[in-house]
Amino acid sequence: MSRKASFADRRDALVRRPFPLLVALSMSRIFHGSNAGEEEMNLSMGVVLALLALPGGFVSIFLFDKYGSLLQWLRGESGFDPLAAAFPDEYFFIVLSMVVTAGVAVWWWDSIFPDRRDFATLVPLPLPLSRIFLANAVAIVILTCLFALDVNAASSLLFPVVVGASQTRVEFILQFAFAHAVAVLLASIFSFFAVFAIAGLLMLLLPSTLFRRISLYVRTLLVTVLLLMLSSSFAVPSLILPLPHGSRSVLRFLPPAWFLGLCQWLRGRAGGALIDLAHTAVLALIVASVTAVAAYALSYRRCFIRLPEIADIPHGHLGTGSRWIFRALDGIFLRTPLQRAGYRFVWKTLLRNETHALMLGGFAGLGAVLASQTLFSAFSPSGPAPSLTADTLSVPLTLSYCVLIGIRFVFDVPAHHPANWIFRFSPAGGISETPGLALRVMLSSTLPWIFLVVFPMAFHFWGWRVALLGTILTTIWVVTLSEILLIRFGKLPFACRYPAFRHSAVVVVLACVLGYFAFAGVTSEVEVAAIASPVAALPLVVLSLGVGYAAHRIRRKSMHSDERMLFESEPDASFAVLHLSDGN
Amino acid sequence: MPVQKGFVLQAIELTKNYSSVPAVQNVTFELRAGEILGCLGPNGSGKSTTVKMLTGLLQPSHGRVLFRGEDIRKDLVSYRKYLGYVPEEPNLYPYLSGREYLEMVGILRGIPEPRLGKRIDSLLTLLSLYPSRHSAMAAYSKGMRQRILLIAALLDDPELLILDEPLSGLDVSSALILKSLIRSLGGQGKAVFYCSHVLEVVERVCSHLLILRRGSVLASGSIADVRQRIGHSSLERAFHHLVEDVDPEQVTRDIIAAMSAP
Repeated sequence: MSRKASFADRRDALVRRPFPLLVALSMSRIFHGSNAGEEEMNLSMGVVLALLALPGGFVSIFLFDKYGSLLQWLRGESGFDPLAAAFPDEYFFIVLSMVVTAGVAVWWWDSIFPDRRDFATLVPLPLPLSRIFLANAVAIVILTCLFALDVNAASSLLFPVVVGASQTRVEFILQFAFAHAVAVLLASIFSFFAVFAIAGLLMLLLPSTLFRRISLYVRTLLVTVLLLMLSSSFAVPSLILPLPHGSRSVLRFLPPAWFLGLCQWLRGRAGGALIDLAHTAVLALIVASVTAVAAYALSYRRCFIRLPEIADIPHGHLGTGSRWIFRALDGIFLRTPLQRAGYRFVWKTLLRNETHALMLGGFAGLGAVLASQTLFSAFSPSGPAPSLTADTLSVPLTLSYCVLIGIRFVFDVPAHHPANWIFRFSPAGGISETPGLALRVMLSSTLPWIFLVVFPMAFHFWGWRVALLGTILTTIWVVTLSEILLIRFGKLPFACRYPAFRHSAVVVVLACVLGYFAFAGVTSEVEVAAIASPVAALPLVVLSLGVGYAAHRIRRKSMHSDERMLFESEPDASFAVLHLSDGN
Repeated sequence: MPVQKGFVLQAIELTKNYSSVPAVQNVTFELRAGEILGCLGPNGSGKSTTVKMLTGLLQPSHGRVLFRGEDIRKDLVSYRKYLGYVPEEPNLYPYLSGREYLEMVGILRGIPEPRLGKRIDSLLTLLSLYPSRHSAMAAYSKGMRQRILLIAALLDDPELLILDEPLSGLDVSSALILKSLIRSLGGQGKAVFYCSHVLEVVERVCSHLLILRRGSVLASGSIADVRQRIGHSSLERAFHHLVEDVDPEQVTRDIIAAMSAP
């Protein structure tokens, strides 16, 4: 107890000195973000660290089935080489550590550099600017190391134990653990510094207004690249292994491959291209770190000191160029004042609010990754047209599913909740209007590109009949899914405080995964059957319309038109009084 | 303008251009110990830009700011030891409590530990913030945030106070306390630069006046001098005479017409 108390006293005494205090303040700002306290999605440091550590631990435990000696003996496997078997898993762990760490860096993109609040608070104090700069740099280094350790701690402990389950020598486990830990840690540090370097270079090279405008799109692109890297992690290792020394393969540009080469080199099992990749890993780490530090120093000088002179432009600001779109839509399908005002509000929030745009970008990026994999596998190298299979037809369905689920998910994430008074004071506020508005947003995010991109492409490859039928069926399924997602939706998007998914996150995730297979898998099979047999197509179209209509009726029935919109939904109580003594 | 001894703060031909657009042009004034200089001007007149240059947050395109006859740019860190500043926007860390924020400011100012704690507690009590000292500032009202900023500015007993709209969001009693406090600080020999839109407060609190319009000084001097020069008995009339080039009654009629326009 006394030792604990003295440690706490020493820590408090340390943080009460100016420089450590500045470092702690910078760490806190980076962690909480620029909008800390104003958004409702903030999590504590402990929760975030626990969440980040989970994937590595879970994956390691799941791999026990592959490496357990008893299980191998039961399967009748002999001559098992754990190092060879661990090659693809090692690649996966490297990708996982890079994706998680880079994801964190992308999320904290704006907080890496001191912001206006820091400027307003710290600069008027008698502190040299160099000390603020140095404290922020130290905070970045500490957080980078902390997150790199946290993301990789579980896999560095568990994965070597799992792989060494069939081994009798402790040295094997220790050597394996060393190489694994070094590779994943350096991969994490590289990915953090790489994102940091990109942010710093853009800040340095672009005018500040342009940087603010495009940084949201750059971050969305980075999220998509990370998802692409993750989804390709099962296919890449088998392609790397046979590469010869000095290979000119495009795989040499893949950052996880560099660190896989480094890991194999540390184990003394690097041959062929793996040695080149190991050298690239070291070089890339140095380049990323130096670039990040240099860009940080120069952009700090350029941007932080000039902060009061720079206008505070929101991310992804579109200017006034989008007005004509809204005016055109007013005449077509935005009928009530609430729909007109709400539709503009929803789209501008989706495109400009950092949290919402990033979340939606993540879902859309996931959709793009899944769809692109299907699309690439559908194109045969010999023929110009992709084959007409359920997989090919599932591409627009996959994309639509991810976008619709993403939009529905972000509808529940509040956007500066105190600002919802403007809608509360609106005379139009019937609950029946909200699903209509949300439905219009969801449909206008999917149907335009189905009509303008998917239909012409299908027409080009397979003719008008396939294009028309495919587009009709896809439209029906998109409308049906949107109707299902909006059952019991009585809020104005973003204007309600409490996200409904918090209490049922696991169920929601499972439902989304199952829904994906039903929506993109089953419906594309239906489309193939309909296209193959024109006679069978008509009942299928009618059936699909029937399902869509049923979803529409259920959604309408779940709402009572005389109710008001929800603005202050509260979490479910963690306990309930049962009134057992009432005797009823 | 020559550098003169005896002034706490001197602005000499201060000019600031934003991408060649002038925000402040040739602003010159002096502030002695014990003087309270009120800076008045309509929106966009250059008040906040002037304040940022006076605090060293913004570098002037031309001109100098002198503190006790020395250019502040030569040693900004030393200058800020004597400076207390309340900014226009209460930009605070919402995840810190009021006490944590003040402790942070005190530690960074180098105030010794026992004195810091006592001073924070007594100022929090006097400004009615003691009961909510451990609450996160995200939960504070605008007035509470403003009071925290005021305490932070007073914490190190500064020789020079620069206040940019300090009454913004304060309730009646806090505003009365602050007005009385500013007068007393002036009486104690502190130099105060007080920036505001509110003519009535400036008239009651300040001993001297600086009126800005479109980045330039329209009038300066003691309040009585300015009134006498313009020939109006009330400051409001004098200010309107100098600054406003619109007819408020005509604008009112136009607004009502715009509200009911088809």
